[in-house]
Amino acid sequence: MRLISDALARPARLGRLAIQFGLAFAIAMIAIGVIGFGLADHWVSSRIDQSLTYHADKYVAKVEGDPSAEMHLQAAILEWQHRKVLSERTYILFDRNDRRIAGRLDIRPPPAGFSYVHFTGGGRHVEEGRALAKRLPRGGLFVVVQHSEAAEGLHAILPWAVLAICLVALVLGVSATFLFAKLTAERLSETQHIAAAIAAGDLSRRIPMDRLDGMFAEQGESLNQMLDHMEELVRAQQLFSSNLAHDLRTPLMRLRSLLETASRDDQVTFPSLLERAERECTSIINIFDALLRLAEIETGQHPTAMAQVSLRPLLEDIADTMEPVINDCGGTLAVRQLDDVTITGDPDLINQLMINLIENVATHTPRGTNVTLALESGESGAMITVCDDGPGLATGDFVRITKPFERGSAASARTGSGLGLAIASAIARFHRGSLELVDASPGLEVRVRIPANDDQNASVRGGMPRAS
Amino acid sequence: MHLLIVEDDHVIADHIVSGLGHIGHSATLARTGAEAIKAWTERSHHAVVLDRMLPDIDGMSVIDHMRSSGSTTPVLMLSALGSVKNRIEGLQRGADDYLAKPFSLDELAARLDALVRRGTSRPGKIGLEVGSLQLDASSHRASFRGKTAALNRKQYSLLAHLMSNADRIVTKAMLLEAVWSYSFSTATNIIESNMSRLRTGLQEIGCDPIETQRGAGYILRSERCA
Repeated sequence: MRLISDALARPARLGRLAIQFGLAFAIAMIAIGVIGFGLADHWVSSRIDQSLTYHADKYVAKVEGDPSAEMHLQAAILEWQHRKVLSERTYILFDRNDRRIAGRLDIRPPPAGFSYVHFTGGGRHVEEGRALAKRLPRGGLFVVVQHSEAAEGLHAILPWAVLAICLVALVLGVSATFLFAKLTAERLSETQHIAAAIAAGDLSRRIPMDRLDGMFAEQGESLNQMLDHMEELVRAQQLFSSNLAHDLRTPLMRLRSLLETASRDDQVTFPSLLERAERECTSIINIFDALLRLAEIETGQHPTAMAQVSLRPLLEDIADTMEPVINDCGGTLAVRQLDDVTITGDPDLINQLMINLIENVATHTPRGTNVTLALESGESGAMITVCDDGPGLATGDFVRITKPFERGSAASARTGSGLGLAIASAIARFHRGSLELVDASPGLEVRVRIPANDDQNASVRGGMPRAS
Repeated sequence: MHLLIVEDDHVIADHIVSGLGHIGHSATLARTGAEAIKAWTERSHHAVVLDRMLPDIDGMSVIDHMRSSGSTTPVLMLSALGSVKNRIEGLQRGADDYLAKPFSLDELAARLDALVRRGTSRPGKIGLEVGSLQLDASSHRASFRGKTAALNRKQYSLLAHLMSNADRIVTKAMLLEAVWSYSFSTATNIIESNMSRLRTGLQEIGCDPIETQRGAGYILRSERCA
């Protein structure tokens, strides 16, 4: 308990989630940066190639088919050199022996087509340029070289830009996550305080909903519902325990009285007193047997032999068995209607359900009460009715009486385990059915509904798993 | 009959040994699993009464040990674990019967008797006959010296069970298990009421072989069917 409340009292840790989120954000930014710069680089390169093609064609087209093309081009280059003082583009002409005959750039003749050339610009600084070389008909080579400062700059800043973006993205991502987690934690802290209080034993606490919205409100609401259910369960458990203790007091008191009498009295009454004491023991044992059975069914620990159960022969058997019992109580057992219905169920449990309901009449109604049994087939499955013409129940008893150790307020003797209807009800729930008490005026009618041939029987149980 | 009783609780163990001695059975008492295995190898027993929870080894392991040596001696398992699940576990591990605590000595004695005699039991239920009392499986009729009585299914099964266990005590719990196949105890006198109907039916044809043993159960006397 202490550990739980300590854990809940600690502020929420944000570290790992924030870092993970920030990293994911940074990786995404790197990817976007690399793709963006890749595209820009490609665009610049293709613009350079287009420009080279345009200018090379402009010169070469003028001398197309001219036998003295080299001479004309040499003149054109010289003329261009006079005209242009500053340009990112330059022209070079080689003769058939790869000798430079025009142009200022000192490079070796590149292969025909596009290529990269290296040259010493200004002093000792080696620079790179894009070249387009065109072979002339007489064997000469006309080369246009473009040296783009912009493209080179772009290449130079690319890694730095990517790195800078990453860092900024990482910082932004982590701080955004941190902020979000902090806001979330603030909203959850109230819930944590409530959870700590509940763990400490105050089951009446609930999460206040007034300051919550969106998913927090939804979560708070479902937690509150769970708490309502838990509180109900705990209260039922407490009531169950106190009822059990009370119910055991009567047979234990009787047992003690008998033993005391036996120790005082003469030897003549001894055997009959001992026999009565044994009967009291049996009734205590019966309460425990029934309790065990109830727990077994409700926690789903009953080893189920789920099978196709034809209810008609089962009820005929029950009627055969219980008719003498009801007769001995001065009443009759009649069968009103028996339809053919097959359900998926545990025959042992269905037998107990039926025996409990009929025994209930035998033990809790005056002598001479008659029982009518019916089995009807409906759309939703089988409906078993056990109806008696006894005094029935007081209005307030209908809901209460299916709970453990609850008896009708008019029931005079505290006979039986006090668990008969609770077990019957648990068996009905186990079969995904229901048990309903109806005022038959006069008398009580118990209606048990069990879905016919339910496919999902085996995995889903009516019982609730016990919390450990 | 000589029995091996394996039970670590002194009060219960003494109660069983003296109680069984009272009805003429001798017994060797073992208080641990090791003692049980030792006593088991030293001499032969007609049956074993074995507590499931022992201080040293599990009662189930004792059964495993006995069964691995090829023994078919009947074992009746005693246990404080009384749910249907526990019972099935015990029977699956090789016990021949399973009795949950608390139990009465009459119940234990009757069940031991049934277990030991099971090996020498009369075969089948076909043409069930004790003296002049005959039970016909197809018509569910009992006949005695030319007179017949019609029985309902429950009365028929009751009589059949009593007849195949003639001259032995059959307890109510045994009848609930064997005739009704109920794994739960009942609050009313289901057995008494049904038995009384069966006896009335038999008395009408001049036969009254069923005797009530107070607190213990019922016994069908073969000499009264002559």
